[in-house]
Amino acid sequence: MGPQHAYGIAARLEQIAEHPFTLNQGTLYPALVRLEQRGWIKGTWQTTENRREAKYYAITKAGARALGEQTERWRRFAGLVDKLLLNESD
Amino acid sequence: MAGLRRLLAKLVDLLRPGRAEADLSRELASHLALLEDELLRRGLPAEQARRAARLSLGGVEQVKELHRDERSFVWLDDARRDLRHAVRLLRRDPLFALTAVLSLAIGIGANTTIFSVANALLFRAPAGVADPARLVDIGVGRQGVGFNPGSYPNYLDVRQRATTLDSVYASEMFGAPLGMGSAGNDGRGEVVSSRLVTANYFTVLGAHPAAGRLFAAGDGEQPGAAPVVVLSHRFWKRRFNEDPAIAGRTLRLNGHPFTVAGVAAEGFQGTHVLETDVWLPLGMIAAARPSEASLLANRGSGWLVMGGRLKPDVSVAQAAAELAAIGRALEREFPDQNRGKELRLRESSSIPGASGPVTALLALLMGVVSLVLVIACANVAGVLLARAAARRREIAVRLAIGAGQARLVRQLLTETAVLCGVGGLAGLLLARGLTSLLVSLLPRLPFPIDVSLGLDGRVILFTTGLSLVAALLCGLVPARQASQADVVSTLKDDSPGASGRSRLRNAFVVAQVAFSLVLVVATGLFVRALRRAGSTDPGFDPRGVELVSVDPSAAGYGDVTGPLFARELIERVRELPDTESATIARVFPGGFEGIGLGGVTVPGDARASGEAPEWDWNIVEPGYFSTLRIPLVAGRDFGPSDRAGSPPVAIVGEAAARHFWPGENAIGRSLVQFGAGGPASKTATLLVVGVARDVKSSRLVDGLSSSFVYVPLQQRYTSNVMSSMTIAVRTSNGPRMAAEIRRLVASMNPNLPIVTVQTLEDYTALGLVPQHVVASVSGSLGLVGLLLAAIGIYGVTAHGVTRRMREFGIRVALGAKGADILVMVLRQGMSLAGIGCAIGLALAAAVSQVLTGFLFGLPPLDPLAFGGASALFLVTALAACYGPARRAARADPLVALRYE
Repeated sequence: MGPQHAYGIAARLEQIAEHPFTLNQGTLYPALVRLEQRGWIKGTWQTTENRREAKYYAITKAGARALGEQTERWRRFAGLVDKLLLNESD
Repeated sequence: MAGLRRLLAKLVDLLRPGRAEADLSRELASHLALLEDELLRRGLPAEQARRAARLSLGGVEQVKELHRDERSFVWLDDARRDLRHAVRLLRRDPLFALTAVLSLAIGIGANTTIFSVANALLFRAPAGVADPARLVDIGVGRQGVGFNPGSYPNYLDVRQRATTLDSVYASEMFGAPLGMGSAGNDGRGEVVSSRLVTANYFTVLGAHPAAGRLFAAGDGEQPGAAPVVVLSHRFWKRRFNEDPAIAGRTLRLNGHPFTVAGVAAEGFQGTHVLETDVWLPLGMIAAARPSEASLLANRGSGWLVMGGRLKPDVSVAQAAAELAAIGRALEREFPDQNRGKELRLRESSSIPGASGPVTALLALLMGVVSLVLVIACANVAGVLLARAAARRREIAVRLAIGAGQARLVRQLLTETAVLCGVGGLAGLLLARGLTSLLVSLLPRLPFPIDVSLGLDGRVILFTTGLSLVAALLCGLVPARQASQADVVSTLKDDSPGASGRSRLRNAFVVAQVAFSLVLVVATGLFVRALRRAGSTDPGFDPRGVELVSVDPSAAGYGDVTGPLFARELIERVRELPDTESATIARVFPGGFEGIGLGGVTVPGDARASGEAPEWDWNIVEPGYFSTLRIPLVAGRDFGPSDRAGSPPVAIVGEAAARHFWPGENAIGRSLVQFGAGGPASKTATLLVVGVARDVKSSRLVDGLSSSFVYVPLQQRYTSNVMSSMTIAVRTSNGPRMAAEIRRLVASMNPNLPIVTVQTLEDYTALGLVPQHVVASVSGSLGLVGLLLAAIGIYGVTAHGVTRRMREFGIRVALGAKGADILVMVLRQGMSLAGIGCAIGLALAAAVSQVLTGFLFGLPPLDPLAFGGASALFLVTALAACYGPARRAARADPLVALRYE
């Protein structure tokens, strides 16, 4: 997807979600700050194609590594929950 | 790793808060613009697009707040904001800020000062000494009191017999000044302070050299065997500029060549406070100070402090028990010299033996200065309460719009913390000034002491802790009071209420008055005690007498040239225009030293020498008695006829005369002077020509006074006895003559070192140092306390009057006279002062019982000190109340009612 600004991320989430999913900006911005302070993403001011300025966040090397770990953990967790729910519904 | 990065990022944000904030605003603005663009693209009109974008983003300020919470330490951010708020508030009321900071600075500064003295004397580990906790001091006591120096033969026995100590060293208690010239240049009369020590001194203390070597077993105590010296680091630096090739160089000390063995490590001064430039082996006493060579063989004369290192697993109590047993054995074996003397062992301290009284004195001073801090805190707390009352509405509004109580307390405490922080800093600076002031209060000591009163880490830690305690002490109660305001009633009506708060404030003022009164009473007691001590007649008149000590043996005067030089010197001093009378003597009364020239008895006296009292000797020029204003009870002073070759004469003290010839006339009788071998070893027969009144010599070491036997200098001058002689000048109208005498001595012999210059009053004042120090400290601080209490009373009364102005107006309208209101207000203010005085007097009565030991028999409940202090306080309180009371009395009913 490449570097994205906060609005872009919000729009993308909305687009991916099957139901209209409006992300509270109160969640988005603090999350971005958290990621940036951990050094997983890096924001730089750039210009959009419509000549608007916007802060673009790009993933860093450490971020990519962390993403791998987090994805792995999420899959395990989600799989576990799935299994649990399957057993329950039996 | 990521966590650490985050912490760092938060810290960076803390330091540069504006940057992230601006960035966020910009980012949110861009968000809005992009959203608006999108909506426009979907075909909404511009106006609608903008509104819809704003709605969709939600509350911008909320986002910012959440962002802020996420990116920084919220509590620190709050603290910073509180701090800024506090500083702004304090700047708005500079008079309050200044008085609060000043009173806290005085309180904290005084505490820091006393603590740094205690730190230097009691807590700081001696530099360059290994494991000082295992070191002990050994001294000689009598009947369980005293810690006096011991003799060399006794030391040798102790060293040989002690099994609980690794090894025992000895060093001189007071050391001695020596004249120094470098090799080839005997000329420059420079004085260095020397100390004779045993060869194992440095080994036992575990000291290391900074250059060369320290003493080793080879530098033994065999007389004259090892002419070597060890220099102190400071002396090496001062005199030789840290010359690395110093070891092996030759120094001439009192004319005798010594080789420099090495330099002790930086800061090393042994375990005691006395400062030393050079250490000499004990065996070199004959070379350095010929007059005292016989000390090595004399079991009776004490001059050495002993010390040792405990063996592993031996406790101080075990070692003390062993030493006491050794002491008893020595008393049995040598009853003549050791009768009544016992050996005492203590943990090593910088003031051997005196650590008890010094600790007591410092504890006393510490008590005084903590009182001052309490007074200062009460003052600040009182004013803070008043301010809190004035800010009641502000605080109620804050509470109403949702501020937490804890958060408010924190904000109010921040304000006091700022005050106390600034006060602590100012106190630290003040302490530097106060320490030098305290040092200048001390009379000049006859020996150099090494006490560095620097502000080390421990002192700064103490001050920081103290400032925090002060902040809590004076901030917590007002802050809690303020934050517990009842929102509804405060906001609803503006009437003065909160009587609980003003009661609390009254309590603070009462406490201030009470504690300051204690300080002033204590001062009064000490001043009265000093008067009393000063009025007891010491038997001589120390006022207006200057003392200048010189060391003629260092300049090479011998038995023949010495008396001639002394006579010429004193003749020329007498010719100086401001001289009333002048004399030269070996020692003066009131100091540390007495000299021994053996025993005396009457011809044919069969009594054993051990039973005879010991007499102090003095060697004097004519004019001694008139210069010191010691009355001659009978006979005559020495005169020109008492010279070398004429029959030996003596003047004795009254007590000695009574002892030898009870009820008879002593003039014309003979005395036999004898040496160490008892009356059989007669050295001279003396003809008594005069009887002098006894003088009280307040000798610090043993507190005993004894009668003197005086002999004329012209007959009894030997260079080894006259290693020091002191010129005493009584000046006619009080000008200090030290400089003139210095010039005179230099013009007669530039090589003659001047050892000390002081007034006889300073010389004799040593015994009263504690009283002087406590009186000046508690006196100056008591006045500060009085001032603070006055401010407190004024503040409470003025505040009360302002609050009740309407009431007074109504009273006047109803027919009250101005005078009635004046009396009413005065009565209220004075009742606070009265209660404070009553409590203060009770406290002072309790405190004075503790002080009894310092008061020279002054009854602790001295009516003058107590009455005077109370009167002072009541008058001050009256003055403080009068202003507000006058204002109340002039209340205008029209104004009051119009307001209604």
